[in-house]
Amino acid sequence: MTRTRTLALAIGLAVAASGALTGCGQPDVTKDRLERAIGPTFAGLYVHRADLLGEHGITVRSVGAVTACDRGGPKVPDVGPGPDWICMIHFTDDHGQPQDGKFEVQVRADATYIAGGPSKLIGQATLTDSHGQDVPNPVFEWDGAFDPDH
Amino acid sequence: MTAAVPAVAPAARRRPGTATVLRWEATKLAAQVRSRALLIGAVVVPIAVVLIFNTQLPPKDTIYGRHIHTSGYAVPLFVLAFAHQWVLPLLAALVAGDIFANEDQHGTWKTILTRSVSRTQIFWAKTLTAVGFNLLVLVLLAASTITTSLLVVGSQPLPGLSGQLIPAGHALPLVIASWATAVAPVLGFTALAILLSVVTRNPTIGVASPVVLGMIMQLVGSLGGLNKARRLLLTTPFETWHGLLTAHPFHAPVTTGVIVSAGWLVVCLAIAYLYLRRRDITGG
Repeated sequence: MTRTRTLALAIGLAVAASGALTGCGQPDVTKDRLERAIGPTFAGLYVHRADLLGEHGITVRSVGAVTACDRGGPKVPDVGPGPDWICMIHFTDDHGQPQDGKFEVQVRADATYIAGGPSKLIGQATLTDSHGQDVPNPVFEWDGAFDPDH
Repeated sequence: MTAAVPAVAPAARRRPGTATVLRWEATKLAAQVRSRALLIGAVVVPIAVVLIFNTQLPPKDTIYGRHIHTSGYAVPLFVLAFAHQWVLPLLAALVAGDIFANEDQHGTWKTILTRSVSRTQIFWAKTLTAVGFNLLVLVLLAASTITTSLLVVGSQPLPGLSGQLIPAGHALPLVIASWATAVAPVLGFTALAILLSVVTRNPTIGVASPVVLGMIMQLVGSLGGLNKARRLLLTTPFETWHGLLTAHPFHAPVTTGVIVSAGWLVVCLAIAYLYLRRRDITGG
């Protein structure tokens, strides 16, 4: 009996503690952190894509990615993990044209995300590289992480 | 000097040191089929997993899954991300959840306690045996996974988590460091399994419940409503390696993870110790 009571007490305490702490502090996943992570990541991957295609003169600076993220439309607060984040990335493509891409982003509670871009702007899932081989397109879909503290 | 020797010697002869108890616990563990199978499994299973995944389509829903064919450094990170969901808590609990409760199962508490050793000595010997064994399993698992991945897939540059490519020379220390972050939560789960094993006196509950609790913590943590309180869960330290692989690495989650795991370890071991000390051992 004592054993069961101790165990019940321990579980009760754990539930109470987690309940009391629920909602404490600032959220880990915010619009600001996501935007700061996705822009430079996209630019880096776009440069990598250009390298694979044998295009020269594409740098993170020339891509100049600017990001604006929103979660689930205007009525949903832009915080927290979920599959309903949308990030608009404004960038200069490999032909020097300004582009606006709508990226679907799935953000996880562990401060990682999966972003996928429109194939019209960035190409299909696989690319034919400058050596004629089929390779994965780095900007088609990618994993990223951001700092949940800053 | 010489006068002190006879006074000490009989006492030392009457009560064996904790090292002796530790040696016996290690011998008992080494004689078990389960622990031998675990050690062999920690080496062999990753080889099979890497070879099988090498022929499959990349599992894109787990982090680093999409890169398992393009970089040998991505494979151990994918395996780590998959393993921490339930494999690592299970590996931590298989021996730790059994090492105390099997004395209840076999009714051997009185047998080991009549060998002139104290309960404190038994407690520390069993705890250290479980901790040492679990660290050995983790090291073998990591070494086997990393070696097989590099041999099978190759040592191509590793895609980072900020769109950067990490050159092969820098990737290996980062992959090893990522696996090393699992040490703290594995020890936390070891202590949790020890606590449950001591309290319930049942090896099945001692092994299974840490895994179930780990899954519950994972589920609660994935909901996102916990915010900062999420860091107090024992499963969150398993995810802190993500910060090592960004262009501007962040280590604060790793530090927090170590502190949180240490907290779980101390609390679980303290309760388990008090419980064992106060327990009335009459039967068996």
